[in-house]
Amino acid sequence: MSATAKTVLSKNVPIRANLILSRIPLVVPEQTKMEKQYHEYQNQLERRLMWTFPAYHYFKKGTLSEHKFLSVQNKPISKVPGVWYPKGIPDIQHGRERSKVQEVILPKSETGEGTNLTRPVEKNSIVTPADESGNTASLERRLRNTLYLLVNYKKTGWNFPKFEIKDGASLDIIAEDGLRNIGGENMNTWTISKKPAGVVKNKDGSCDFFIKSHILAGKFDIAKEAKNEIKEYAWLTKEEIQEKLNKDYFNETEYLLSK
Amino acid sequence: MSNIRSLLTSKPVARSFSIVSVSRKAACSIVPPVHHLLKIDKSKLSPRFEGMKYNKDDIRSPSYRPQDTRQDRLQEHYLNTLQSDLLLINYKHNATVEKGLKNRQWDGTSPYQVNRPLKKPKGSKAELPDLHPIKWNNIPGLKSVTLNCYVRDARDNEMLTISAALQLQQLTGCKPKIIYSKSDVPNWKIRKGHAMGAKVTISGYEMSQFLNTLSEIVLPRIREYKGISKTSGDRFGGISFGLNEEEVKFFPEIDLNQDLWPKTFGMHININTTAQTDQQARTLISSFQLPFESGNAQQS
Repeated sequence: MSATAKTVLSKNVPIRANLILSRIPLVVPEQTKMEKQYHEYQNQLERRLMWTFPAYHYFKKGTLSEHKFLSVQNKPISKVPGVWYPKGIPDIQHGRERSKVQEVILPKSETGEGTNLTRPVEKNSIVTPADESGNTASLERRLRNTLYLLVNYKKTGWNFPKFEIKDGASLDIIAEDGLRNIGGENMNTWTISKKPAGVVKNKDGSCDFFIKSHILAGKFDIAKEAKNEIKEYAWLTKEEIQEKLNKDYFNETEYLLSK
Repeated sequence: MSNIRSLLTSKPVARSFSIVSVSRKAACSIVPPVHHLLKIDKSKLSPRFEGMKYNKDDIRSPSYRPQDTRQDRLQEHYLNTLQSDLLLINYKHNATVEKGLKNRQWDGTSPYQVNRPLKKPKGSKAELPDLHPIKWNNIPGLKSVTLNCYVRDARDNEMLTISAALQLQQLTGCKPKIIYSKSDVPNWKIRKGHAMGAKVTISGYEMSQFLNTLSEIVLPRIREYKGISKTSGDRFGGISFGLNEEEVKFFPEIDLNQDLWPKTFGMHININTTAQTDQQARTLISSFQLPFESGNAQQS
């Protein structure tokens, strides 16, 4: 075992540590139409089967807050003897028609604007300024996807950041240090494991090991010393990476990337 | 045919070899050569309880509850990011199945050893499960969360269990069960069969929702929170920790309605995972932003 290891070392095969630096999605992925409809259907079912809202628990009897609450509720049709109900006989418990979804309406404050609880939720746009301007260097783009750092080397073109092995240091440390050398100290990253996630064996006998890491804060900026070897960098999704990388290389690394 | 099947309980009656039937309960066979008889569940024969015939996941059953009612943020995060990370973290080179402690054979020196139950394993009272290398199909994941609220004062005032159950229901949105003391403990003045608290097991969306609230709202508000104890764990991937009655008040459901809660109850939170060891479970749970005790935190 040790003999074979020695022979491999003596051959002096170039080994590189590649870094897959990712920004995890900030927002849940978009649902397909089918998923949306399925969830909507299940949600409506759940709301129909839901327990009746225990207003007596939250609003004490005879208080002003109870009166305010009851005054804004939609009253169900009550059952009166001798009346024919075409849509079924009403079955009312605690002010709720039991065969239907209960709608609980929270009273608004006197000024007309809702309180903290009743204020409608205003969603921020999923399309950020970086998305609109097509700025791929920004981390705040494509919030629903995982973004990966790709670097445009002057010699070899677009690729994951690559670092040559030296001094017998471990792959993860070389990748971390190398990233600081080309991208500056101004970022917090977390290497998932010392073990590489994958390896690509090239035709010339060299090996590319892949170390996975997440960026947690900060910004990647090409350092002054690295400007002569790196043209530009980009944070790209899997689909965009497919366009930038050469086809064989992408096929070999595709399984390491998520949507 | 399937209707008849649904009437039968799944447990077969032990086959009797004598001509006289041992079991006097009504039983029938639905396969022509009668090998064994199946008991009839008589409550299902009545036409009054149509819904009883169906499983709980059948929409015709009265106890049906829809499961996937909305997109689950925690689950999406797990599938998209955590799963592949956990696979890499738990990967070991040349890993093989590690056999757990098993019952031992007798050495056969004595005739009395024939048909004797096997010897217990060395250093353990029971057999331990094998440890399988982590692959794509057994990546650690969350199974369920059990909230257990034992109220000591309930031995004097049984009504407190109802408040405890209400608290759990408020925090989870699921219906809790009342728990009863299992045995007499004279020193603690506890009698067997006395209601002593409440518990609820949640999974799916409710579990995600509870863990999100816990990690994003409750734990950050606790003063000088040190994290879950490092020694917590049942050896097989279950981690548990506790919140006392003051910390429970940080849940928004209780915090926004403090007038309604003159008394809150501390509770134990057990997180059940599919991890095989505690170490794997800790890695998994800390990835959901639940902090664990560390040496560094104590120094600073």
